[in-house]
Amino acid sequence: MLGFMWKYRTLYVISIPGILFFLVFKYVPLLGSVIAFQNYNLFAGFKGSPWVGLEHFERMFRHHDFLRILKNTLLLGTYDILFAFTAPIVLALLLNEVRLALYKKIVQTIIYAPHFLSWVIVSGIFVGMLSPSSGIVNVILGWFGVEPIYFLGEDSFIRTILVGSGLWRDVGWGTIIYLAALTGINPELYEASQIDGAGRWKQTLSITIPALLPVITVLFLLKIGDFMDYGFERVFVFQNPLNIQNSEILDTYIYKAGLKQLQYSYATAIGLFKSVVGLFLLAIANTLSRKATGESLY
Amino acid sequence: MKKVWVLALIASLAATSLAACSKKETPGASPSASSPAGASASAEQPSESAAAGPTAFSISMRTLNVAYVEQHPDINKDKYVLELEKMTNTDLDIRLIPHNEYQDKMVQMFATNDIPDVVQGSGGISGSELAGSVESGVFLPLNDLLQEHGQNLLKFIPQDAWDRMTDSKTGNVYGIPEVLSNPSRRATWIRTDLLEKAGKAVPTTVEETLDVLRAFKQLGVEHPFAGRKNFKYADTFFGSYDVFGYLNQFKEFPDGKVKPSFFDVEAMKKAIQTYKTMFDEGLISKEFATVEAADFKSIVTSGKAGMWSMNANELPIWGAQLIASVPDAQVALIPSPVGDDGKGGYAHYNPVTRSYLINAKAKDKAAGIVQFFDWMVGEQAELFFSYGLEGEDYQNEGGTIKYEQPTDTEGTNKQRYLNYWLWMVQDTTYNKRISELSESGKQMVDAFDNMLAKEGRRGIEFDPRLDALVKYPDLSPISDQLPPLVLEHVLKMVYGKEPIDSFEQVLEEYLSKGGSEVIEEATARYANKENAFK
Repeated sequence: MLGFMWKYRTLYVISIPGILFFLVFKYVPLLGSVIAFQNYNLFAGFKGSPWVGLEHFERMFRHHDFLRILKNTLLLGTYDILFAFTAPIVLALLLNEVRLALYKKIVQTIIYAPHFLSWVIVSGIFVGMLSPSSGIVNVILGWFGVEPIYFLGEDSFIRTILVGSGLWRDVGWGTIIYLAALTGINPELYEASQIDGAGRWKQTLSITIPALLPVITVLFLLKIGDFMDYGFERVFVFQNPLNIQNSEILDTYIYKAGLKQLQYSYATAIGLFKSVVGLFLLAIANTLSRKATGESLY
Repeated sequence: MKKVWVLALIASLAATSLAACSKKETPGASPSASSPAGASASAEQPSESAAAGPTAFSISMRTLNVAYVEQHPDINKDKYVLELEKMTNTDLDIRLIPHNEYQDKMVQMFATNDIPDVVQGSGGISGSELAGSVESGVFLPLNDLLQEHGQNLLKFIPQDAWDRMTDSKTGNVYGIPEVLSNPSRRATWIRTDLLEKAGKAVPTTVEETLDVLRAFKQLGVEHPFAGRKNFKYADTFFGSYDVFGYLNQFKEFPDGKVKPSFFDVEAMKKAIQTYKTMFDEGLISKEFATVEAADFKSIVTSGKAGMWSMNANELPIWGAQLIASVPDAQVALIPSPVGDDGKGGYAHYNPVTRSYLINAKAKDKAAGIVQFFDWMVGEQAELFFSYGLEGEDYQNEGGTIKYEQPTDTEGTNKQRYLNYWLWMVQDTTYNKRISELSESGKQMVDAFDNMLAKEGRRGIEFDPRLDALVKYPDLSPISDQLPPLVLEHVLKMVYGKEPIDSFEQVLEEYLSKGGSEVIEEATARYANKENAFK
């Protein structure tokens, strides 16, 4: 076996930086999660802080709004998968059908662009557009005789706004991988199907989608792992007390209760809970997928 | 078998990297253990030369949105800093902390144990930016040093500011405070030209104020009263009825318990009703719940607002900007609308604005550092920080000072930097020498001394904060905002989504979600006089 290693020694040496990277920046920090089981004190450190077992987890589950916050987190995660995950697939398929190369390039560039805006700017744009006094949305609604609606001041609209703004910002970016996969499909398949008399719709159903399925599965599995991580900033910038009932999620709660109040242990406990749920979802989805399609992450 | 080798390799790498990390972390993890060692090590070095040469020390300072500082390529080479060093025989190493990331960066600083010789806090010794460092023994008690080297400071700074820097259990003073002698810093502003146009007198009561706002509305003013998200800088009418409920607004109620002031149900309902009336009649923007600070400023300075609330010391600047866009605008600070008790005004500020704590490891330089701050409250410092460099920024002709007040952005930025930022210990209410130079400055001084000094609301404050408030963040007011739980309901009442009469239920919800603990702890601590300030 040593001989085997010697034979491929260059490969082993090349892999060292990568392994080191994961160890130092991913695995060692993971050990920091122990503070979820302590009453962590910045000045006492890991060694000096007292151990408190599951106290922070109990406190989290007993919190009077925990169920509401969890519900918001799960709902947003679900909407995110339903809309933000499927939209890029549809868009990529549509783009794939565009004949005019120049037009396709222009459209692609335009829909990628919002991805590079920060959430603060995105929220500024949406707050402006949705303003009841000057926003374009309410002006258009006004043409149909609808009274101006204060969209950001309502519990009932906030989830739609959150998902919608995410869609607007990232849908174009999401198409990149699918478009790349689409170019990898062998054109002979299309030619053969044309000779057999298949139309564009039939070609999409029978060639394009099956060819994309492995990519879709892998991306879906990656997405499932992040199910609980809807993101802090994108929600925080839209929050106000009038919509907080439906917009408070675990990420924003961690910020307010943990970081702002310097309760690092509590914040870590909630974060750990989130990660464990994500890991479970990933494992389940991976197993199901392996059984159903043969595709899996590991 | 190959796997075993790979694992062994990974394990050995992990072991070395862990060892490297833990070596680095040990001093950071327990500064209290290592600090005596550090102090004694540096004490062994010869200190005779330090007496002659300049005292060199590092200091962390928040940039406080001061443009001059934030745009400067290297503040330590700035000519004013160099002059300051010359005058005080020091060698400063200023470490800037970005204004918006202040708390995060401070905590990072403590966590990595990269603590400068002097740390600037923002008032008190238990603020969250200090992350509990005072209790952990990171800083030096200054009692003896102040007696020996800081007599001017002791004379200049009032006792209530020193109290904020003192651990009431041991009597140790842990920092040198910069003070705000007039804690009533915010004022009600009104457009007097509009008032004249409407033919109204300056309003005094809440009712009269609403009448004036209605008249503004009829004149076509877009925002008769400028509202802002979470009632920040728009809490005028909570002040009229004395129901702020902020961290320094606890009150002793007739039942002997100490509660947040919004527990005065009738007064609170009146305050909410006032905002609801304003909302219903369009006297405040229908979308004030999403108006951010920048929008607020542009609404006011572009002349779209009739009445608003802002810090009084902004009068010269905001006033000038308003007149730049609306030439015939006139603005004045007026007494805030009064409620049933004939009083009004805004929540008082903490008497300490900035504070300077000295690292326990800098013990051998501490005397020089205290002398540096002691110099700040003297005559020479006053001239330097008000005007700048003699011969360059101003002329001193036999005792009469010739100084031209700058009008361009560059000049005003520089002045703000000197007056407000680099002058580390002063009475920061307003700059006496500069305000005398302009009409709006004199108006501001007059407002501070004769009007604002008499108004404003303050109650009991606990510093460090009540443990129950840390435990229940929903009940903890965020600086000048109602606690999130109460704020949510109050806003819904103003927006007509909940009836105002259900405010009692809000209080019940507050009590059931941890509020009883808050009140119990507040009452006990007030009775025991344990770090409670009035």
